[in-house]
Amino acid sequence: MKQNSYNSLAMSLDKKSTFLYTDEQLIGRFQAGDERAYVELVNRYKDRLFNFIFPFFGDVEQSEDVVQDTMLRLYEKKHYYKEIAKFSTWIYTIARNLANTELRKRKRRKTTYLSQMSKEERQYDIPAIQDDVDQDLQNEFMRNRINQAIDALPDHFKTVIILRDIQELSYDDISNIVEVPLGTIKSRINRARLQLQAELQDLK
Amino acid sequence: MNRYQFEDLISEYIENELSLAKRKKFEAYLKANPDSAKLVNAIKDNIDRLNQMEALKTSESFNERLLEKIENHNFTIDKDQVKNMIFGLTPGYATLMMGFVVTFIFISLQLLMPKVDNQKIKNVHLTDNGTPAITNPSINHGIDQDQDMVHALDDSTKTDSTIRLKKDFSKKIQFVND
Repeated sequence: MKQNSYNSLAMSLDKKSTFLYTDEQLIGRFQAGDERAYVELVNRYKDRLFNFIFPFFGDVEQSEDVVQDTMLRLYEKKHYYKEIAKFSTWIYTIARNLANTELRKRKRRKTTYLSQMSKEERQYDIPAIQDDVDQDLQNEFMRNRINQAIDALPDHFKTVIILRDIQELSYDDISNIVEVPLGTIKSRINRARLQLQAELQDLK
Repeated sequence: MNRYQFEDLISEYIENELSLAKRKKFEAYLKANPDSAKLVNAIKDNIDRLNQMEALKTSESFNERLLEKIENHNFTIDKDQVKNMIFGLTPGYATLMMGFVVTFIFISLQLLMPKVDNQKIKNVHLTDNGTPAITNPSINHGIDQDQDMVHALDDSTKTDSTIRLKKDFSKKIQFVND
């Protein structure tokens, strides 16, 4: 029984998605036993969650582990989802909680991360800008610089700036995911943008 | 408008959420403070950069590894079991909880219900000629059953205190030191 379920899941993961359902319809179908709906949800959210989680860890493998644990939690706890909230809010909240747990564990281990280095130490991988620099290289430089600036933000600012300015979620959704009142979220996003600008003021 | 008020309103200005009156004040402040206008433009640019950042992708092996995890994961609650949940409890826990509830109700009833001796209430008090007594049965009943009280009534009707019955409490009272 379990092996059959696994095989059907494995087969459907290989197929291209043909679902036109909303997230809420998909989780409903998954709750009813349609595992292809689960696969579709995984394919829809794995990259989005990865982009949300990655700035906190700065490590592909660890970030993927957290996203996988989120998907595993979705598989295991699917019946706990009730359609009073958006599915995206629910899955982001799970990912955020798992990431927080993992970050707490990491802090206990007292490992040194990029965010804990001084600004001078962080300059090591920034290439020199020349007039004839290749566009791709410049883009790469810009991305690294922005990632470093985001990395330097406190976690509560980092979360909201990623959700708002990278993932482009609404204020309401962010408020639900972070479980903080809407007014606080707006104020926090504003202050995060100001602090990010302070980090990036050398960029033109 | 001062600097703090200006900074608080930057995001609302960029996202067009300011009221007309506040927007006018904000723009007047920008005109009067060119540095502030630069700051607003720089924040706008940063938001654009963040919006345009190329999204990262999970590795090719992501789904494969996820399947392995699902296969090897020992789920604490079987998915078929979840379907059969009663008030969010598995059938085993639901039965146990039901047992607790029944026990609780039974004990509560035992504690709260007053003890009533039905046998006494059912006794019909008759007069000597066999007709039911008019007097309050419960009072009569008590008096009839308690010999000490009978004596007490007798005593109260007699004026001669020397005739009073001497009670023997020797068998009823025991001192600790004895």
